[in-house]
Amino acid sequence: MENKKWSIVSVIGLLLTIVFAVTCIAPFVYMILMSFTQAQTLNLRFSDIDFSDLSNYSYVFGKSGFFGALKNSAIVVVCSCLFNCIISSMAAYGFEKKRFPGREAIYNMYVATMMIPGQVTMIPVFIIMKKLGLLNSYFSLIVLIINAFGVLLIRSFMAGVPDELLEAAKVDGCPEHKIFIKVVMPLIKPVLISLVVFTFVSSWNDFLWPLVSTTDSSMYTLTVALSLLKTQYTANYGLIMAGAAVSFVFPFILYVFLQKQFVEGIALSGVKG
Amino acid sequence: MKQRRLEAMHGYTYILPSLILIVCFSIIPIFMSAFFSFTEYNVMNPPKLVGMDNYEKILQDEYVREALINTLKYVVITVPIQTILALVFAAFIAVKMQNKAGEFLRSVMFIPVIASAVTSGTIWRTILGTDGGIVNNILGVFGIDAINWLGDSRTSLISICIVAIWKNVGYFLVIFYAGIMDVPKSLYEAARVDGANMFQQFFRITLPMLKPITSLVVTLGIIWSFQVFDLSYQMTGGGPGYSSVTIVMAIYNAAFKNYKMGYACALAMVLLVIVLLINALKQHVFGEKEG
Repeated sequence: MENKKWSIVSVIGLLLTIVFAVTCIAPFVYMILMSFTQAQTLNLRFSDIDFSDLSNYSYVFGKSGFFGALKNSAIVVVCSCLFNCIISSMAAYGFEKKRFPGREAIYNMYVATMMIPGQVTMIPVFIIMKKLGLLNSYFSLIVLIINAFGVLLIRSFMAGVPDELLEAAKVDGCPEHKIFIKVVMPLIKPVLISLVVFTFVSSWNDFLWPLVSTTDSSMYTLTVALSLLKTQYTANYGLIMAGAAVSFVFPFILYVFLQKQFVEGIALSGVKG
Repeated sequence: MKQRRLEAMHGYTYILPSLILIVCFSIIPIFMSAFFSFTEYNVMNPPKLVGMDNYEKILQDEYVREALINTLKYVVITVPIQTILALVFAAFIAVKMQNKAGEFLRSVMFIPVIASAVTSGTIWRTILGTDGGIVNNILGVFGIDAINWLGDSRTSLISICIVAIWKNVGYFLVIFYAGIMDVPKSLYEAARVDGANMFQQFFRITLPMLKPITSLVVTLGIIWSFQVFDLSYQMTGGGPGYSSVTIVMAIYNAAFKNYKMGYACALAMVLLVIVLLINALKQHVFGEKEG
């Protein structure tokens, strides 16, 4: 009796789980299907779908400046990932493997900055950038992506790098910077991949700061361009969905190939405290 | 001695680039924000000290009051639902589906997490649309009249909450799932020997063991929710009327639409205080119970 009741509960649970999973993916399927129609209403008729018709995509890229936005997003993402990895692993190495006065005090300051919402510092940073003439620059888009999180993440991983190894390299006459590049960097590769994935997604999806700091349409990132698309082409749903699909496809491809690192990189960002 | 000094110098050199960025773009701006909040400042003219004026204005500003109320509603709706859904799905998959199928379902539920809020908002705007959007079509099958989800001030905020929940569950599910995997298997075995059923195991073992993780998920959920902007900007633009304006949207509008930087900074300080309070509360409430 008990067993039978359980199996019913389990079936219901299974059904709910599947329903939710379908709900998670259906909007994206809808987006793709819609992007291949010329629909001016939302009624999606399967007869309208024509996968050979790429006109929405060519229009999005050609006329509405998506190509430039895609290029900007790509530049920002690649540079953010690169600089975040270099700068954060250097700092993590300094904090974890070097002793210097004020080390823990400075590190605690780093931890404290993690609690500050980005929207609080955004206005002064905007003013600084404006005064320096750096609004509408790649620099301003990239530099804000780099924060204390990467340092915290890498430092906790670097604690597992044995000091003896670094000592041994030193005894062998390996100069300091080479120890970092040749010994430390290869050892922390797993955590760097997680950081790259995290940085990729957060800078690719970043919206408020690009919205605020780019006034020149040639500097828009994809999220800003997509957000404008809906105001420019209110009822051209096929076109808007093509734009959404372009903004979604790159993180999605990365996710398909690097699923484990994705889940770690993104989920760990919450477990920092 | 010389060795020591050399090591310290190396240490400073390694942290220097990062430290410059943190100081310039996190630490100094906090103090600037605090300072500007006591001034009237439109970027063109130098800031003018006005004392507590901005904070007094906040108390009388109807727009801000609506934004605060909406954000609070948003927190109260999304956080419990997303936490419970994530926990239940995580527990179910961990207990019944520790196989390829379960893994697949988890990966699928994570997909909304990787899409940007702007992308999600764009898609859901069309799905919830009135001229033939899917949701209204489905409701139509059950004989329910079309609802103007985003255009009606009674449903606009709820719609945003639904999308937020949809987007967040996969994230928290991953965290809960990892937590459940860390619960020692022997506890469940012992419980089964004692004849505990699935529900008893969930409430007596899983839930208590997950307390630290639940506290994290709830705190994180609350803090994120207080910062909601992208979704509401993209889906409703804060409307209709003030019905889906959020705190961050009020900050954005004050600073970048009306160029009242001082006022916007005062609002930002309010947000900062809220976030810090939640963090402190977390330490207090959950820190004590564990210790």
